[in-house]
Amino acid sequence: MGFLGYILISTGLVFFLGTTIGLLRFPDFYTRMHAAGKGDTLSTVMILLGCICLVSMSWLLALKILLIINFIFIGSPTATHAMMDAGNKAGATPWRKDSK
Amino acid sequence: MSALPIWQFDVLLLMLVLLFAVVALSIRNLMGAAVVFGAYSFMMCLIWAGMGAVDVAFTEAAVGAGVSTVFVVSTLYNTGATMQRRTGGLAFKLFIGVVVTVAGAFLLSALPDFPKWGAPDSPVNATVAPYYILNTFEDAHVHNIVTSVLADYRGFDTLLETTVVFIACIAIYSIMRVDNAKLETDEPAIVAAPRYDPSDSLIVRQASRFMVPFMQLFALYVIAHGHYSPGGGFQGGVILGASLILLAISFDLKFLLRQWSEKTLMLLVAAGVFLYAAVGLACVFMGGNYLDYGFLDSVLPGERDMARSHGILLVEIGVGITVMFSMIAIHINLASNGRFDRGL
Repeated sequence: MGFLGYILISTGLVFFLGTTIGLLRFPDFYTRMHAAGKGDTLSTVMILLGCICLVSMSWLLALKILLIINFIFIGSPTATHAMMDAGNKAGATPWRKDSK
Repeated sequence: MSALPIWQFDVLLLMLVLLFAVVALSIRNLMGAAVVFGAYSFMMCLIWAGMGAVDVAFTEAAVGAGVSTVFVVSTLYNTGATMQRRTGGLAFKLFIGVVVTVAGAFLLSALPDFPKWGAPDSPVNATVAPYYILNTFEDAHVHNIVTSVLADYRGFDTLLETTVVFIACIAIYSIMRVDNAKLETDEPAIVAAPRYDPSDSLIVRQASRFMVPFMQLFALYVIAHGHYSPGGGFQGGVILGASLILLAISFDLKFLLRQWSEKTLMLLVAAGVFLYAAVGLACVFMGGNYLDYGFLDSVLPGERDMARSHGILLVEIGVGITVMFSMIAIHINLASNGRFDRGL
């Protein structure tokens, strides 16, 4: 169980790395938000799942972490959506292959 | 706390704090500076959590990183995010530099007089702290020592802190609030049409509709469970306030003002402080000192120690009410530019 927890946490960290690289390297606002919204949510969820495996003896604690996961799973993509929407309304132009 | 040397980690976090502070001051876009300040608060929160001051870390996360960022953003919404750099003369800059250097030198010169961090013979650790640690459970039947120190041993402090929140709310209210009818005749509207309205988005509305009950349940848990785990009136009140601010942002201010009118809001802000002070006064009528909850044992269930525990709970509820409605009133004032009609 502990081993599974470490695997989940390391996978989450790898996804975090991907998120950071995407946030820095993608060409425009929308693709960057895409990286942040997807990668950040998945990696946080994986790290918290790993934490659940590491505290497997305490069911109450595991339940609390599950509630946090639920919260992040709803909140983070919604925040990304709101920022995307605001960017769209503010007139951020999407990147095209032939632009620049 | 564990015997691990936490200071290496602390030094790393403190360097990040300094970095964020410098970035927040040097960044031109004020909206960006607000976000960097939020990150700064999270770093402070981590430092405090690392030191074992979980209650303080909790407050910092809720107030510093959460609600105050929202306040700054809603202020910027009405004023504009671009900074106009004022070009002061060289003499003025030199004067400021000298003042800051002298003040900093004085502060640094007082540094060696402080006891070392965690020194066993420092006045705090030698006198009051052992008493609190040894006697909290017998005195007040509270597991979390921080809560009993906050609301019982140092009850006066917390009463005045709650009053400070109340006064801050009143001050912002009296500065910001404008009479709508008078404004329309005298001067043109300052607030332009909203640039981006989150209430347009069905996704945001549904998600916040789903999240708000959980936030409020958690906030009530934080207030009620403050005797056993980190938390209490301040943190729970801020989370309750934040949940309603989320509703105000994702629907609109009218949605919030339909639940509580302006008058009810301000009355409830005062009601929390009143509850706190009234509990203290009730102790006087029962024959004790002000805020000596042990004398409430004839009205509250249990022996004297349980009465103190329940007294702490009553007081925390008072703090929670004041903080919650202060946060809402401050947000409405800042977001609607004092008009209480529409805004962020």
